[in-house]
Amino acid sequence: MSAVALEQASGGDDATHSGSSWYEASARQRLDGLLDADSFAEFIGPEQRVTSPHLPLFNLPEQFDDGMIVGRGRLDGRPVLVAAQEGRFMGGAFGEVHGAKLTGLLRAARDIGSMPVLILFDTGGVRLQEANAGELAIAEIIRALLEARAAGVPVVGLIGGRAGCFGGGGLIAGCCSALAVSEQGRISVSGPEVIETNRGVEEFDSKDRALVWRTMGGKHRRLIGGAEVYADDSMASFRDAAGFLLKHAPAFGAATLEAEQSRLEQRIERFGACKDAVDVWRILGAAEPQTIPELPDQEFLALAAQLQEPRHDAR
Amino acid sequence: MKSWNNARRERDVRLQAAARYAQGKQVQARDVTALLEAVIRPGDRVCLEGDNQKQADLLAAALAGADSGKLHDLHMVQSGVVLPEHLDVFERGIARRLDYAYSGPQSQRIAKLLFGGKIELGAVHTYLELFARYFIDLTPQVALIAAVSADREGNLYTGPNTEDTPTVVEATAFKDGVVIAQVNQIVDKVPRVDIPGDRVHFVVESGKPFYVEPLFTRDPAAITETQILTAMLAIKGIYLPYGIKRLNHGIGFNTAAIELLLPTYGERLGLKGKVASHWALNPHPTLIPAIESGWVQQIHSFGSEVGMDDYIRARSDIYFTGSDGSLRSNRAFCQTAGLYACDLFIGSTLQIDLQGNSSTVTADRVAGFGGAPNMGSDARGRRHPSEPWLQAGKEADPDSPPALRRGRKLVVQIGETFGDKNVPMFVEHLDALELAAKLKLDLAPVMVYSDDVTHIVTEEGIANLLLCRSKDEREQAVRGVAGYTEIGRGRDRAMVQRLRERGVIRRPEDLGIDPLDADRRMLAAHSIKDLVRWSGGLYAPPSKFRNW
Repeated sequence: MSAVALEQASGGDDATHSGSSWYEASARQRLDGLLDADSFAEFIGPEQRVTSPHLPLFNLPEQFDDGMIVGRGRLDGRPVLVAAQEGRFMGGAFGEVHGAKLTGLLRAARDIGSMPVLILFDTGGVRLQEANAGELAIAEIIRALLEARAAGVPVVGLIGGRAGCFGGGGLIAGCCSALAVSEQGRISVSGPEVIETNRGVEEFDSKDRALVWRTMGGKHRRLIGGAEVYADDSMASFRDAAGFLLKHAPAFGAATLEAEQSRLEQRIERFGACKDAVDVWRILGAAEPQTIPELPDQEFLALAAQLQEPRHDAR
Repeated sequence: MKSWNNARRERDVRLQAAARYAQGKQVQARDVTALLEAVIRPGDRVCLEGDNQKQADLLAAALAGADSGKLHDLHMVQSGVVLPEHLDVFERGIARRLDYAYSGPQSQRIAKLLFGGKIELGAVHTYLELFARYFIDLTPQVALIAAVSADREGNLYTGPNTEDTPTVVEATAFKDGVVIAQVNQIVDKVPRVDIPGDRVHFVVESGKPFYVEPLFTRDPAAITETQILTAMLAIKGIYLPYGIKRLNHGIGFNTAAIELLLPTYGERLGLKGKVASHWALNPHPTLIPAIESGWVQQIHSFGSEVGMDDYIRARSDIYFTGSDGSLRSNRAFCQTAGLYACDLFIGSTLQIDLQGNSSTVTADRVAGFGGAPNMGSDARGRRHPSEPWLQAGKEADPDSPPALRRGRKLVVQIGETFGDKNVPMFVEHLDALELAAKLKLDLAPVMVYSDDVTHIVTEEGIANLLLCRSKDEREQAVRGVAGYTEIGRGRDRAMVQRLRERGVIRRPEDLGIDPLDADRRMLAAHSIKDLVRWSGGLYAPPSKFRNW
């Protein structure tokens, strides 16, 4: 599966220079770069002005799409449902409307049964100003996502935005059929600052950004199997990754969940005593684990293919 | 008979008193406080090396740990008040009077100590001015400096961060003062001699690198589209028409945006080779793309920058390097270069008043300005002509006979109308005035005086103050680019319109710039990692700037 991304990795250097960087793009630019040209049709678009009922109470600006864009489009000709979070609006955080749009999309996917779903995550988690509604939204989304998967709909997450994928977003990502992540992408539940605040700077120094990326970044997630595909930062690479994962998304059922559970248990057993991601990479068999953060995309992909954890259909 | 060598004799007495803590010139780290107590006398002027970049941190801590019964009433003369220890010496009563140039992270605490009367403030200088006074009326009796390595003779290798060291040592060692150096390590042979050993009296091995702040690293990922618009305005509205080849940039994000637009937007305007080729500038990582694209001829630097050493070493055509291949910086020379040999300074500020005075001092923060007042001032002693200088002189004074007309250095203040945390950059009165009144200072700490400022650039456009003919016009020109701040909303519409017709104010559309084109995609690098790529892997950014 890495071979697909490998072929695309050569575009890496150009990605940021030519302006097709996923990390740099807005949610709408990402949809533009991801889907077939002119295929996107938005549900509850900005013209409908469905905004957060909570933010005005705090004198905070609203956004006409509440930072969540949902709709349908085509990927290589195949109809898909898509949701994209706008990380530039309140860090892509989940609020009531933001969350309801994704819940609705996933329920529609469940009912239709034949249109897979792509979720373009870019989120710090739940919006503090509407925390209760946001937390409820996370629960509803997870339920709707699992119902969709149970109905045979693949749900694929793409992660490579500025805000990463944290908090409830990290939980939702964990429920997806498969994930693609870029080096810049971060996946976790508690963010670096949260860990530092709760456990102290000795436990986790959130200002040590190399540490943050070693622990939560795309390369690490790919190596330990937290994400199936490593994409370079280009639109093209995410497009290929999405296409690939839609075709190869695992089935959903008791067998998958049990395999996933045992894989998690094995992971704790193998890596539970590690102090740093570098130790994990060493156990995985990397000869020079400390060089991994510096590896160019292509070399990393080659290494990742080599270090592959035993394959499971489960994450 | 009158004795003419008292100071030398007194120095020798001090050296003798200190000799028991040293073996040859070498002093153990644990003995440093005792050494300082033996060498320094109450009331001495002490220069503790430290600026906006490197710090003699071990010596600062040793001084702060001295017995205030033995050492008191010191007069600290130093470039930067940066480390907590720099203020601990005042809190603990070891020092009383302070003359300095720069304070960054300590600006709030310094304000508290000033208000509390713990510090008697001499003046807030610009670097070059403070250096000048080291040779006239603020000559140190003792200098505490930092270097990378020393040999047993005391020859020092400062490494790329030479910065203030030669100046401090010159003023101290040649006027009967004592020079004490902390070095990371003692070696048999130093890679190059930056300070000859006969100017150094004691050397302490610290065992770890002295602290250096990566102050000049700006993450391209944090540059906003508004900042990009201001950068486009500066390039097309100032660099292009004046043909600015020799220049200095401040450290803000607006000027970082200019650096990252040269290979893209500047290239499109056909400016390569015509502007921004000769620099007085620290090794800004954000200039790497312009260097790699062939824009830059040469750069002289005040100091180095963390992570840039290998890149500099590999680009000796661009930077000044020593016989060992590493950068040789020198703050005094580079400040002089910025004053006399540059045609433009452009930098950000926190506050600009109606006449164009600007300051980064606010009600509770006494920031020193470092080099900005020097770089951001017209050199009245300048005599060599250059196109931009003559052009600016002509705009300011069109009627004088050209052969007798002074040129003008372009001093540009650039920023967004609403700065960090949406605080307006334009104010009726500078907070610096309030501070001066509170502390009973003769002078308000102004960073760049109004009569030195030639242009103000905001997202609203460019105000060319050279073309203003009265105080009133000047005020309206400032208000005219102040946007929706209170100052901006107080403008006289008709007058601003007339100024615009005369080209005193130029809006983006007057320059053929569409604000919607100000897009991050135009930056030559979007992240620190992009800069690493541009450098061919030679730039090694500090961990706090990484996102991989």
